[in-house]
Amino acid sequence: MSLTCPSCAAGETHSPCRSPCPRTPRMGCRTWPRAFSGSRRPPGPFPCCLLVLLSRFLWDHGDIAFAPLGKLMLENFKLEGARSRSKKTTVVSVKRLLQDLDGHQPWGCPWAYLSYRQRRFSILGGPILGKSVANLLGDLLHEELVMRWEQLLLDDAFTGGALAWVPGKTPRVGQLVYPAGSTLDKLYFQEVSLTPGGNPQVLRDPGHIQLRGPVRQVVTRTVQGESLLAVRSDYHCALWKVSRQGRPAPLQVLQVEKGATGISLSPHLPGELAVCSRSGAICLWTPQDGLRRVYKDPDTLVFRDPSPWRWADFTAHPRVLTVGDRTGVKIVDTQGPPGCGLLLFRGGAEASCQKGERVLLTQYLGEGSPESLHSTLHLICTQFSLYLVDERLPLVPMLKWNHGLPSAPLLARLLPPPGPGCPRPLLLGGQDGQLQLLHITGEEASTPRLAGPPQSLPSRNDSLSAFPVLEPKSQWRLQERLKAPTIGLAAAIPPSTSTPILSLFQLSAAGDVFHQCLRLQADPGPDSCAPTVSWSPQATACCSQWLKALLEVPPAPPVWAAPTFSHRRLLGCVEQREVEGKVPEGLRAAMAEGRLLQQRDLGSLPTAEPPPAPEPGPDDELSKRLEAAWEGQAAAWWERRQGRSSGPRQQPKRHKRRTQLSSTFSSLSGRLELSDVTSPPPSPDPEARPRPPGTPPSQELAQEHWARGVPSERQQTLRDYMAKLPLREDALEDASAPPSQTSSIRATRSRQRTLQDNTAKPPLQRDTPEGAFVPSSQTSSIQATPSRQQTPVLSGSQRIRKKPRMGF
Amino acid sequence: MSDFSEELIKSTTEDDQGERCELSGTGMHFPWLQKHIETVATGGKKEKDFAQTTSACLSFIQEALLKHQWQQAAEYMHSYLQVLEDSDSCKRQAAPEIIWKLGSEILYYHPKSNVEAFNAFADRMKNIGVMNYLKISLQHALYLLHHGMLEDANRNLSQAETWRYGEKSSSQEVLINLIQAYKGLLQYYAWSKKKMELSQLDKDDYAYNTASQNMLDHSWKTSVNLGALIQIPGVWDPFVKSYVEMLEFYGDQDGAREVLTNYAYDEKFPSNPNAHIYLYNFLKREKAPREKLISVLKILYQIVPSHKLMLEFHRLLRKSEKEEHHKLGLEVLFAVLDFAGCTKNITAWKYLAKYLRQTLMGSHLAWVQEEWSSRKNWWPGFHFSYFWAKSDWKEDKALACEKALVAGVLSGKGCRYFRYISKQDHQVFRKKIKRMKKLVKKYSIINPGL
Repeated sequence: MSLTCPSCAAGETHSPCRSPCPRTPRMGCRTWPRAFSGSRRPPGPFPCCLLVLLSRFLWDHGDIAFAPLGKLMLENFKLEGARSRSKKTTVVSVKRLLQDLDGHQPWGCPWAYLSYRQRRFSILGGPILGKSVANLLGDLLHEELVMRWEQLLLDDAFTGGALAWVPGKTPRVGQLVYPAGSTLDKLYFQEVSLTPGGNPQVLRDPGHIQLRGPVRQVVTRTVQGESLLAVRSDYHCALWKVSRQGRPAPLQVLQVEKGATGISLSPHLPGELAVCSRSGAICLWTPQDGLRRVYKDPDTLVFRDPSPWRWADFTAHPRVLTVGDRTGVKIVDTQGPPGCGLLLFRGGAEASCQKGERVLLTQYLGEGSPESLHSTLHLICTQFSLYLVDERLPLVPMLKWNHGLPSAPLLARLLPPPGPGCPRPLLLGGQDGQLQLLHITGEEASTPRLAGPPQSLPSRNDSLSAFPVLEPKSQWRLQERLKAPTIGLAAAIPPSTSTPILSLFQLSAAGDVFHQCLRLQADPGPDSCAPTVSWSPQATACCSQWLKALLEVPPAPPVWAAPTFSHRRLLGCVEQREVEGKVPEGLRAAMAEGRLLQQRDLGSLPTAEPPPAPEPGPDDELSKRLEAAWEGQAAAWWERRQGRSSGPRQQPKRHKRRTQLSSTFSSLSGRLELSDVTSPPPSPDPEARPRPPGTPPSQELAQEHWARGVPSERQQTLRDYMAKLPLREDALEDASAPPSQTSSIRATRSRQRTLQDNTAKPPLQRDTPEGAFVPSSQTSSIQATPSRQQTPVLSGSQRIRKKPRMGF
Repeated sequence: MSDFSEELIKSTTEDDQGERCELSGTGMHFPWLQKHIETVATGGKKEKDFAQTTSACLSFIQEALLKHQWQQAAEYMHSYLQVLEDSDSCKRQAAPEIIWKLGSEILYYHPKSNVEAFNAFADRMKNIGVMNYLKISLQHALYLLHHGMLEDANRNLSQAETWRYGEKSSSQEVLINLIQAYKGLLQYYAWSKKKMELSQLDKDDYAYNTASQNMLDHSWKTSVNLGALIQIPGVWDPFVKSYVEMLEFYGDQDGAREVLTNYAYDEKFPSNPNAHIYLYNFLKREKAPREKLISVLKILYQIVPSHKLMLEFHRLLRKSEKEEHHKLGLEVLFAVLDFAGCTKNITAWKYLAKYLRQTLMGSHLAWVQEEWSSRKNWWPGFHFSYFWAKSDWKEDKALACEKALVAGVLSGKGCRYFRYISKQDHQVFRKKIKRMKKLVKKYSIINPGL
């Protein structure tokens, strides 16, 4: 059952006969996408329109297009059954081929082996299938690669967040709305009761609605007593009205052909919804007039940027919207003539933006009610900073603060003030789980300010230490689970008796919901210790249950793993030899399964003596050089030696300046040691220690180093001998200075770790990890805003950029 | 001198660094990407140990600051100062600014820090590198101001004012102007304190003359200091306000008018509603003609239609003789009530109710219809919903009555808001409601023929 192809009889490189059609030696994806992508498509035998038709035909009627070819090539493929006896290289095993195409990676590296088999297939099929198929696949591949790369750089699908808190009948009860399921296409409604103690309780099992696509954004608003819920999927948006009993009733479903990038609900009029599409259009849906396009511009606002991301939100005027893209934000009157508008924010000099700075999120901070003090403020987040812009004074930000988040800030929530006269908390969430809490103050007539220094809240990762110690593999799985990106943030303030409480919910991409409880703390004063962070007993119980459930689920095989070297083959070779050897079976089994090695796996191994450590003899230049030469770094050694003589010249001047400076801090920290028992002693910093004049900086350390392995009675002799050697200091400094420097850092690092141990936190609750509702309770505290307001000093150079202004 | 020459070449090297993280080709900068693909970004070379250590130290400081662990931050800072000796000149030059920002923040919040420590730190930082001298001086002065040490702040600013390095660059110039302006602001403060004292003194008093002489000296100095900054496009509200106050005090009305007109109308300045408010208030004090006041407020109306001065604008328009002003008066009232922040402004509703009646009595139905046509599909839901009828009646019955009258006139007797309020029975408001019903019957623009 095999048909030999005359053109090619073997895999490509070893083939004695070359195929007649010209082919590049590497037919990988490297050459495809470029040649045929976009406008650079070379003029082929077909006109372009025909190519489109053809590709559609190939897609839709693959059976007709490929069946005759398939029949012709039948003999080149082994469909099933035993190994082909002919051993001809022109016969391809379909089973294997399909396995390869499915991403099956028996050899660890998907490319190393796959290319060989697939290349054979492509050589066989290439001349017959024709170029159009290759073009089509090339385009698809290119598209996919571009998408993957963009996603890796910035995954903005979940901008705005997919977790929402819908208030219920009483202020204590509400519903969390979030997507779950493996493809996030089930919208869950979980009723939660907030207790005055800060431990939320889950009431009943969650209800859910099955949707047709993954949920990317969940928005909720309560306007004039009506709770509304809007959901954005990739190509659909939907709107529900939530009754006082908590039942959602569908109002409208909208289809967005080019893909939706953002939705927002009006804070002024019940049921009004703004939808943004990738095509650059902004539509407003109202219950009275239905859907209406209010803005359309495929280009970006300020300068050209390839991102199709668009965003829209409402303003203090119910008929005026903000329209945002990566380059800026514009105010657009939906009733005015199309195309007109006023720039509210521009990525440029007015806001003193950095190079490459782009808008990631814009949000209207006002709420429909006229009591709100910030009814004209808008929040704009970029990779670097956070801006507050007043729509009455466009372009010049009222406040700029460098948030320094190590991931994209795609989530923000402004909360009502915890008490009368208190500043309003603003939560800023990074994609990787970092949370920052800012306090914004400022009456209607004055500029908004930050009240007190911003604060970072413990993230999910910080709770790792509160879990019991697990074996490494499980620990790793737990860590990965906690590390999943944050895709939703919601907060609720339960009516509290004494101290205001803030209940914070986070949704992770793995489908877990975490809970944090923050308590308002009165001004801590100078002598207060760090806020205590702890788990309640319920939380601990819930977390251990959740962990158990998590570890019971078998780990999913990775869909795609980074290429590694094929170790299986190596292992195979070793195995054969080892069968004759003495290494017990258990060890090999453990290695193969990748589980923790235990004593019983090892059996009784002979206890080997540790190899004798090399005697550290006195260092000299020759041996140093030989050593360097042996490692192939003779040139580097030479350079180091040469550089040495010029190095120390600059040392004294800089040194002096630094010690002067450091005294500011050292005196400060030194004094504090007495009062604060918990603080560890300052790390010894040999570099900053003042030295007697004339002593080279490293000498004392260096001598200690070389003298270590030498009997004390002989050290003096050695020292004398060493003094005679040329370049003694330099050679030694090389060896000793770096360790001394890193050691001080290492010490501080471990200290940091112990501090984190105290700040343990998360989960609680029941349920399986799949689509689990796992709120984690954590008690830390919001420090009440100190009476000292933000000063010019704090904001650094931003103060200068921010123009001073008075009220209106 | 090595620092100086290094800083001069700084601008070129900085750009190179910026490019490193732009791997997307889109021009966007991804700060979080760098740590994931460090080796790609640095071309396969691993960062040196020292660079790794300092960047780790920096992140520890930032973390400590965000956790409000000031003492820890101070300890890390102590180690971080080593970065000043980085062999990478790029990093070494960026270091002073980072150290200053973090260090001043630590010293500001540290429970055990004091002004002396801050002063010592600032003075040393000013002299590490030349580029930060002015910035640090200004921020140092602001710190002192915040602690009520006006004289020290003034001395500091005077010192910075005379400082020069090399050719005056544009960024330096703006900073020097700012420093001078802040100095002027301090002098204004002293001046206005003296003015207060003077107003309490008797004119025949011996001390009066010396005090007034003192004031004169001050004003001359201040006008020099403030004048320069105000010429540069920007938002300089406090400076302009104090400058104008001094000019006015010494009778330089023309000078003050020029400053304010320039501040409000110069195209190069960003659109700033406050500029128009200052100008309006000045003209009002000057008793300028109504026409002039209207023209100033007309511009403010275009920028911020929701401003509380708009009600005053409406009064001016109402009193005007021109018909077009009367029409604009109606427009202004509608525009004020469009905004979410003004929905409960009872004065605005009262004015609208009254003016609607007046306009309709003057048989200008077309004006009302014109305004209403763009609002009729959303005002009923926004203002005249059943929800608001209930809550307004509960919270503010007078407001509810005014709103109900407007609702009745604009959307007829069938309007839910009007129906709800007219059904209410209340001793105090019974008469008012009755009158409201009568007015609605007479003037409602729905079915005007009946």
